[in-house]
Amino acid sequence: MAHVSIKSLQKSYGTVDVLKDIDLEVEDGSFVVLVGPSGCGKSTLLRSVAGLEAVNGGEISIGGKRVNDLAPAKREIAMVFQSYALYPHMNVEKNMGFGLRFAGTPKAEIDARVTEAARILRLEALLKRRPRELSGGQRQRVAIGRAIVRKPQVFLFDEPLSNLDAALRVNTRVEIAKLHKLLKATIIYVTHDQVEAMTLADKIVVMNQGRIEQAGKPLDLYYRPANKFVANFIGSPAMNMVEIEVTGKNRMRTLAGDELALALPRGAKVGDRLTLGARPEHLSLGAPIKGLKGQLDLVERLGEVGYAHIDMPGGARFIVEVRGEIETGRGNGVGIVIDPKHVHFFDADGKALH
Amino acid sequence: MADNQQVEMVGMNRSAYWRVLAFFLAPAVVIYTLFSVYPLLATIFDSLYQRQEGGALTYNGLGNFHTLLTDDTWSKPFWNAFRNNILFFIIHMCVQNPIGLALAALLSLKQLAFRNTYRTLIFMPTMLSVVIIGFVWQLILSPLWGVWKLFLQALHLGFLFGPYLGEEHIALLTISLVSVWQFVGIPMILIYTALLAIPDDLVDAATVDGLNQWQTFFHVKLPLIWPTIGLVSVLTFVANFNAFDLIYVMEGALAGPNFTSDIMGTLFYRTFFGNQLQPGDPTMGSTIATMMFLIILMGLLVYLYVIQRRIQRYSF
Amino acid sequence: MRSRFSTIAIHAVLLGYTALALFPIILVVMNSMKMKRAIFLSPLTPPGPTSFDLIGYHRVFADGAIGTYYMNSIIVTLGTIFFTLLFGAMAGFALSEYKFRFSKVLGLYLSIGIMVPIRLGSVAIISLISGMNLINTLTALICVYVAQNLPLAVFILSEFVHQIPKDLREAARCDGLSEYNIFFHIVLPLLRPAMATVAVFTMIPVWNDLWFPLLLAPSNGKQTITLGVQQFLGQYVTDWNAVLAALSTAIIPVLIFYVLFSRQLIRGLTSGAVK
Repeated sequence: MAHVSIKSLQKSYGTVDVLKDIDLEVEDGSFVVLVGPSGCGKSTLLRSVAGLEAVNGGEISIGGKRVNDLAPAKREIAMVFQSYALYPHMNVEKNMGFGLRFAGTPKAEIDARVTEAARILRLEALLKRRPRELSGGQRQRVAIGRAIVRKPQVFLFDEPLSNLDAALRVNTRVEIAKLHKLLKATIIYVTHDQVEAMTLADKIVVMNQGRIEQAGKPLDLYYRPANKFVANFIGSPAMNMVEIEVTGKNRMRTLAGDELALALPRGAKVGDRLTLGARPEHLSLGAPIKGLKGQLDLVERLGEVGYAHIDMPGGARFIVEVRGEIETGRGNGVGIVIDPKHVHFFDADGKALH
Repeated sequence: MADNQQVEMVGMNRSAYWRVLAFFLAPAVVIYTLFSVYPLLATIFDSLYQRQEGGALTYNGLGNFHTLLTDDTWSKPFWNAFRNNILFFIIHMCVQNPIGLALAALLSLKQLAFRNTYRTLIFMPTMLSVVIIGFVWQLILSPLWGVWKLFLQALHLGFLFGPYLGEEHIALLTISLVSVWQFVGIPMILIYTALLAIPDDLVDAATVDGLNQWQTFFHVKLPLIWPTIGLVSVLTFVANFNAFDLIYVMEGALAGPNFTSDIMGTLFYRTFFGNQLQPGDPTMGSTIATMMFLIILMGLLVYLYVIQRRIQRYSF
Repeated sequence: MRSRFSTIAIHAVLLGYTALALFPIILVVMNSMKMKRAIFLSPLTPPGPTSFDLIGYHRVFADGAIGTYYMNSIIVTLGTIFFTLLFGAMAGFALSEYKFRFSKVLGLYLSIGIMVPIRLGSVAIISLISGMNLINTLTALICVYVAQNLPLAVFILSEFVHQIPKDLREAARCDGLSEYNIFFHIVLPLLRPAMATVAVFTMIPVWNDLWFPLLLAPSNGKQTITLGVQQFLGQYVTDWNAVLAALSTAIIPVLIFYVLFSRQLIRGLTSGAVK
């Protein structure tokens, strides 16, 4: 397995820049997940590592070797495609061994590797089947098997679970995590699903508009988002945000006039306009006496927890996690209590302040 | 061809890339250029030359065209063939395509039993060689055999019988109708497919809106298949101005009686190869072929720039 | 839904037209198996025990050349299909797969031939073919027919290549296949259904063509069946048994073929016409 290093990577289609100066280190044996909204450049980045897209600038190296000008097959990568990309006219065994055959690997070696991969993925009984005779989950495993037999330096996964139904997605997710431990593989994995990202990754890379917004451990991103975009993107329901104006030491006022007292980041001056953010689970409902106030709109009950949707003055909406019964009804005024330990502030550019 | 389907080749240098392209494209491009494009261009080129007594070619500019269009010995047959060809086309447009449309409309009705059987059988004559069809109809219409006479008599139309293929005013019409009979399958299939592509929901919506089947056809389906009807028309045009076999088989190269069934294709053949009346003339043959090319080209341009632009296309 | 009456009316119209379409064909095939007297006295009755006679077929096959003509047609048709499909698929693949500066222009260049009939170049084709010493050879016919059918084949096959998921070809590239191997091992096998369709409707006009056999290979036993039958009919025009039998000999194989492959054929016609 190898270390992947990406330096100042640039990529554009005509005049549209899809990757802007990307720097990323993927440590040997680590599981890196690229997330972001669609069109953020995460798939393009993955395909550039694979060699399926030419880049306009910067450098990609795998295992210390610059691979910019190498064909995909020479990069010692294996890719698992969203559509699985199984060859429809070949059975499972042939599909898995196909690349090795063209690399000139001896037949006995191919058979041994295919058998091994089939064992790991429990595909032994399916080796003679064609892809169309397999279920979605089985196809997915064959696609992974095809990657394993190549013994690549790096595994690349392009949204591998998005064609599976919800239950299967959870199972397969767990299997991929196990496989990572078993193979001690370096994996770069693209998804738009933040649950996949949070559960699988050693490192999450949040991308937006061709740039990396933040890269770090999953919980770091959750607790210490570097900016408003990451704060919004990671966590569900999303972080609540409200604009405030600093009125004194650790004192502030919302635009609607609610007065709050919370520890402000260092350097905040009276008159500064900041954005305050807090996650639903760090909020609770109280009496509409002081602090943030709004009107209860509805409560979504998910079982153990529920989410109270609160209309704030000025049209914003807050979501507060609630447990147990709520005494008040729809349309009534409520107060929102903020856990002072879990509050975030962002400056006018959206950067987090600590 | 959407750009996102095409790939960039990482790790392949320019010369390897061009080798790949040449490998895949060269055979098709070479054969097509050599046996299709080059002969067409050479024919157009030839039409600008004149063959002298000794066989030498001399440049004649547009002289051949001038001769063809104005010199009585050439222009009479040319305009005759051109007029006949237009008539041939009009008969196809007025008979073949409406029948094709009607058959397609019936076949595409929902829950029609034996739909595929009808479709297969009605399309059958289209499959056969024009040569065979021409002979078959020649036999059927022959007074010697009298099958057609029997048929007409059974319909109490016996008085209509005559030696159609030998009558000057009726030979071309007869041949056109034989051609219509053979090729009605093509508009039928094309329009039928277009009709099937119309989502059922739209027809259901029309039914809910209270339209009956006729109204649904004329107000919902027909407007959606105009592009196909446009395509059918241009295909008919190209095929008609390129036709030859049927008349050659039924009336011979002289396109009798007295040239009344002569069209561009037979005139071209006769001019190029010669016949009992005149020796072959390759340059005048090329000139006629070039005229045919120009006529077809005009038809295509009218289709591309007038008809296709006016027709609103819908995607489902 | 529909009333009983209109259902009956629809079937009456369709049945009537079907009868009109089949009547001449059935009439010829039916009478080809009758004695001359019966052909003229009762043309509309099928052959019975007293009228059955295969004398016409004996005369047609006695000529001996019909077998050769069939063979010629089969060689020309198969040769045309093979090269049209191979070269058409290769070019279709390259045009839809690769990005290069003049790919659009090249696509347009090739598609001119879809609409402009190759017949118009006949004068120059003849001098070209005779310059290559190919007059009266089946090779000449194959060359011209391949050129005639390539444009539509390229167009349709490149549409089908387009429908093969891009991921498959990229997976093959990751698997280390060369571009040639991607074509021969991945694309070509997946194009098989599309090629069957193109094949079926390439062969009909080739099999039925009269023009080029007449121009390029009219004698020396190189006639195709269509031309052969045409020449035969010209010779035996007064021998009704022979004429009807010759026509039936030309009709029946095509009809059998059509019944077997009508589905592919009709699919081909429609897929070729959607754009």
